[in-house]
Amino acid sequence: MTRAPQEPRSSSAPLGPRKVVGAPVRRPERTAAVQSYVPTILEGLGLTMKHFFVNTKELALGQRNDPVLEAIDDGINTLSYPEQKRPYPERYRGVHRLTHRVDGSPRCVACLCCSTACPAQCIHIEPAEYPEGDARRGYERFPARFVIDEIRCVFCGFCVEACPCDAIRMDTGMHPAPYDSREQFIYEKDLLMSIPGRDGSFESDNPRHEPGDPTHPGVTRLKHH
Amino acid sequence: MPTFKLDDQDIPFEPGDTVLRAAHRAGVDVPHYCWHPGLSVAANCRMCLVELLPPPGRGALMLDVLRWDPALGEYVKERKPKLVPGCQQPVAEGMEVRSATSEHVTKARSAVQELLLLNHPVDCPICDQAGECRLQDYWLEHQAKSKRMRDEPVHKPKAVRFGPTIVYDAERCIICTRCVRFSAEVAKDPVLSVRERGNLNEIVVAPGRELDHGYTLMTEYVCPVGALTAVDFRFKARVWFLRSAAAVCQGCATGCNAWLDYDPRSHTVFRHRPRENAAVNRWWMCDEGMLDYRRVHEGRVLEAYVDGQPSELDPAVLEAAKRLRGVAPERMGVVLSAQCSNEDNFAMVELARRWIGTGNLYLAGRAGGAADGVLRHEDRNPNAAGARAVASTLDPRAPAELAADIESGKVTHVLALGAELGDPALAGCLETAEQLIALAAWQGPLVGAAGVVLPIASWAESEGTFVNAAGLAQRSEKAIGIQGDAHPAWRVVAAVGRGLGHAMNWRRLADVRRAMDNEAGAIVADAPALEAR
Repeated sequence: MTRAPQEPRSSSAPLGPRKVVGAPVRRPERTAAVQSYVPTILEGLGLTMKHFFVNTKELALGQRNDPVLEAIDDGINTLSYPEQKRPYPERYRGVHRLTHRVDGSPRCVACLCCSTACPAQCIHIEPAEYPEGDARRGYERFPARFVIDEIRCVFCGFCVEACPCDAIRMDTGMHPAPYDSREQFIYEKDLLMSIPGRDGSFESDNPRHEPGDPTHPGVTRLKHH
Repeated sequence: MPTFKLDDQDIPFEPGDTVLRAAHRAGVDVPHYCWHPGLSVAANCRMCLVELLPPPGRGALMLDVLRWDPALGEYVKERKPKLVPGCQQPVAEGMEVRSATSEHVTKARSAVQELLLLNHPVDCPICDQAGECRLQDYWLEHQAKSKRMRDEPVHKPKAVRFGPTIVYDAERCIICTRCVRFSAEVAKDPVLSVRERGNLNEIVVAPGRELDHGYTLMTEYVCPVGALTAVDFRFKARVWFLRSAAAVCQGCATGCNAWLDYDPRSHTVFRHRPRENAAVNRWWMCDEGMLDYRRVHEGRVLEAYVDGQPSELDPAVLEAAKRLRGVAPERMGVVLSAQCSNEDNFAMVELARRWIGTGNLYLAGRAGGAADGVLRHEDRNPNAAGARAVASTLDPRAPAELAADIESGKVTHVLALGAELGDPALAGCLETAEQLIALAAWQGPLVGAAGVVLPIASWAESEGTFVNAAGLAQRSEKAIGIQGDAHPAWRVVAAVGRGLGHAMNWRRLADVRRAMDNEAGAIVADAPALEAR
C-alpha cells in the first residue's frame, strides 16, 4: 500500500517571524513629563514624607497604636519579634499536650482514635495493659509509648476532635519551636505530658471517674442488683 | 429446587433448611448474633426475627400490645403479628417471609439492639473488637439512636482469665453462647457454660478447669462482640489498620485456609483468622495454626552466612556456587522441603535433575506430631505432598537415607531447601558432609551445620502453592514485603544455578509456574477434592 507523501513543513512556511494578525495594542502617550519620570518621583516622595510626618507626630504625642493588641489599625504596626509577640486567638491550635489524671498518669487509654483520624499519620502509639493487681486493669489500657512527629503534623486538630477521653489537647498556645535537627521534633510521651495548657494546668476540666473511686460506675459490680 | 419468598426475592432451599440458612446460602443478609452456620441453633439473641405471612385463607397470629402515644401522653392498645426467629424457622415451598420490608421486624430489631446494649459498657476505645464488632455494625444499621435508660447499668466481672489464651469481659457479653456451643460441638470439650439468668448471666469455665483445649482461639473468633479477646492479639493493633491476605496455614498438612492479617505500614503480621472453605477447614482453625503466624517474625534467617559469618547476599550466592562447582553429580544430594511451596521445590528439582543431573533427592521437614481428629494432621508440614508431586518421576527419599548416604560417603555435597531434618538425631551426620549449602527461612539444624546459608522468604512474603494431605493444591497469597535480605526461594535457587553456569532465567513466579506445568503436569487439575467433614 502506498501512502501519499507528506509535504515537508519548511517548504510551505517561509522562514522568519510570522505575521501578527489583529489590531496592535495602543501604547501610552509618551509626553515629556512621563518620559522624564520627575512628577512620579515627586509624587512617591510626597507620600513617604506624609507618612513620616504623621508617624513622627503620633510617636511624639503618644498617639501611636499598640502594635501587639491593635494589629490591623492604621499607622505603624511593626513589632520587635520575639520580644514583642501578638497573642494567639483563644482557640489557636498549638503544640499538643497529653492531659493528666489526678495521680499524674496520662488520661490516654491508647485507643488509637487520634492516629486513625490523623491525616498526616504523625502519631505513633504503643498500647499496654495495666499490671495484675492494678485497679484499672481490665477497664483501661495505657500508652507505653506516645510519639508525635511535630514536623509532620499539619495542626488540623483532628486528633483532639477524635479523642474520646479528652486526653490530647492543642491548647498550649505554643507554636512548635524551630529546631536544628529533625529528631528534636519527635515529641515523646514524657515531653508531651510536661507541657501545661495555657492556663497552666496539666489536667483537663472534664472530671474522670477512676476505677476504685466512689464515682466510678464499675465499683458496685459485685453487689446484687 | 423449591423456593420461598424472602421480602421480594425468591430464595431456593434444601429440605430441612431454616430461613437464615437458606438466606445465608443465597447471600442474603439477615442480621444475627447467635446463629453460626457451623453451630447448632440457639435462637437466643432474637436479632433475626422475621415476619411470617399466614397461608392464604388463614389469619396471622396477632398479639395485643400497648404502644406509647406521645401525642396523647398515654399507652394505646394495638395489635401486632407474632414474629419468629429466622434461624429456627424451617421453610416450606411457597412460604412468604418478610425481613427488611416489614415495619414490625424493623421495630423489633431496633428494640433487640437496644436491649443488648442496655448494660453494655461502651468501652469501644479500649476494646479489641472495635471495628469488627457486630454491636457497632448493627447499632448503626438497625438502631442508630442513643440509649434511653438513665439507670446505672449492671456491672459484671471484667478481664477474667479463661485460660492461657483467652480473656473474658462479662459486661460486653451478650450471652449468644456461640463459644459454649463451639467448645461442646466442634472442640468436643464442653468446658464453658452459662451461669445465672437475665441480666446477671455470664459465661463461666467449668470448676477446676481452664479453657485450654486445642481450639480456644476459635471461641474468640466466633464471639460476635468483644467479650472474648485473645491474649495474643490483645491491645496489639487496631483492626482497621490491618489488611488481610488469603493465605494457607503452614502448621500442618491439613492446609487450613486462613486470613493472614498484617499492617501494611510496618510490614508486621498480627494474626491468623480462619477463612471459610467447606472442602478443607470449614470455618475453623486450631490454636497452633492460628498462632503459627508468629513464625513470620520469629526464629528467622534474615541474612546470608558464609562459614558462620554474616555476609552480603550476592557474594554468598557466588560462594555457594563456587563450592558446588565441579562436583560429580552422583555425589550431590539435593534436599527438598515440605515447608516450602511447590514453586520453590520445583526450582530445586529443576536444578538437580536438568542442570546438575543428579537423582539424589531427599525430602525433609518438621517433625510430626499427634493428630486430634478434628483438623490437626500428624504431618506438621504444609506441603509434603506437593514436594513429592513436583519431583514427579524422581521419588524423594527420607532424611534418614540422606544421613546414611553422607555416612557412607556416597553423598559429599548437599544443597538443602529448608532448615529442618525432622529427627534431631540425624543432625550429627551433617558435619561429615564435605559441603552443605542451606536455603532457609528459619533457624534449624541444617542452618547450624551449613557452610553457606542463604535467606529465603517465608509464606507471608511470597506467593506459593501448597498441596495438603488430601491432595488439594491451594494458592497462598503474599502479605508483607520481604524481610531482611530474604528472597523467594525459587529466585535464590535460580541465582545459585546461574552461578553454576546454568541458564536458569526465570524472571517472575509466572515463569516458574509455566515451567512447572510443563514438567510436573498441572498439579491442581490432578488433585482430588476433599469432602466436607
